[in-house]
Amino acid sequence: MDGRAFFRAFRGGGGTKGMTDLVSLTDVTKVYQGGITGALNGISVTVEKGEFTAIMGPSGSGKSTMLNLVAGLDKPSSGTVVVGGTDLGKLGEAGLARFRRDHIGFVFQFFHLLPNLTALENILIPAQLKGNTATVRARELLEELGIKDVADSYPARMSGGQQQRVAIARALINNPTLLLADEPTGALDTRTGDQVMELLGQLHRNGQTILLVTHDAKLATRHAARVISVMDGKIVDDARLESPERAPSDVIRVRGEEASR
Amino acid sequence: MSLKYGVLGLLKGEPLHGYEVKNRFEAMLGGTWEVNIGQIYTTLQRLERDGLVRPVGPRGDRGKLAYELSPDGHKALDQWLAEPDSGPQQLHEDIYVKLLLATRIANGGLQPMLARQKRAYLQRLRDLNRLEERARRDGRIDLARLIRGALLHTEADLKWMDELSSERFGAEGAPKE
Repeated sequence: MDGRAFFRAFRGGGGTKGMTDLVSLTDVTKVYQGGITGALNGISVTVEKGEFTAIMGPSGSGKSTMLNLVAGLDKPSSGTVVVGGTDLGKLGEAGLARFRRDHIGFVFQFFHLLPNLTALENILIPAQLKGNTATVRARELLEELGIKDVADSYPARMSGGQQQRVAIARALINNPTLLLADEPTGALDTRTGDQVMELLGQLHRNGQTILLVTHDAKLATRHAARVISVMDGKIVDDARLESPERAPSDVIRVRGEEASR
Repeated sequence: MSLKYGVLGLLKGEPLHGYEVKNRFEAMLGGTWEVNIGQIYTTLQRLERDGLVRPVGPRGDRGKLAYELSPDGHKALDQWLAEPDSGPQQLHEDIYVKLLLATRIANGGLQPMLARQKRAYLQRLRDLNRLEERARRDGRIDLARLIRGALLHTEADLKWMDELSSERFGAEGAPKE
């Protein structure tokens, strides 16, 4: 199987038969003791399978908290979080760990690679499959993400863009139902950030459901057709953007003044 | 800006007649500025009157006349290119006046107005992104740069909406300190 067929075969599977809502948050409130920022105040929202959704908002608005709740990394103070038909509130610690391993791929701003492991070893950390099967798979991901040259390199020897690609490969190793990305371009220069986002766009076109937290509206609207705006722990807008072919003059008008002399 | 310097710039390369100027101008702007041929002829006549261009060669078929830059035309163009744009900032869009009026008369309708505007800017960002992609696919890097400028402008507009949304407005609409 070549890399592309591999992608098609594995993208976006698992546990959602007969459902359109992959993620469902209902009346979710998160209170942090001491009132630190990032709290959520009665949020309800659903995300369908196959969507590329961006969550935008100022720092402290609660957007990363939303992502952490969906990932099962954090628990709501009240309300329910259902992902792929599983009510996360009903899972214990072991159940949550299993849920994360089976369903969630998480990409962070600062990559979170282990410095004493090579790219390949980092990608294999969460692998469910063991031995040769996992290694074959990891190498296919390295190839697909354009980083096979750094397979045996350590993170310190890689560029930021390469490290983030390794982190994305690690997030994909178990064919997650849902790929979560928290400011994945935040530590990268513009060009490298564009490339990483292009990669996420490609994964989405191959069927991957993606939830992206970002403050960059340019990047968000480039790939995500849905933009959820969060402010002070509340969803203040949920915009589904259109993608028609528009004539240039319907998008930009360079304005000329009539020559007057 | 007026068409004047756009026309001068195109004529710097080679002599062109009116229709060629129109077509090349519109192609350069990638469809973001459409001009009618009348504007082009008017502009060429004014440039000729001011001694910046002059007809070259005989009239072609259907009486078409090609123009080239005069030495004064070269000078005027170089001067214009060397000058930074230092005039007042151009705020053409209705939102600026809408905002001023809304703070006086909207009676609490300001937040919904900001939210609607914000959504319009998000859609514009998406449209601009697609346009930029298309320009790059077509190998029009110059146009992609223009669109990138528009993207950054719209991003600033969006941030402005966010900033306004987080302000506290009093009943009379004027921002409260």
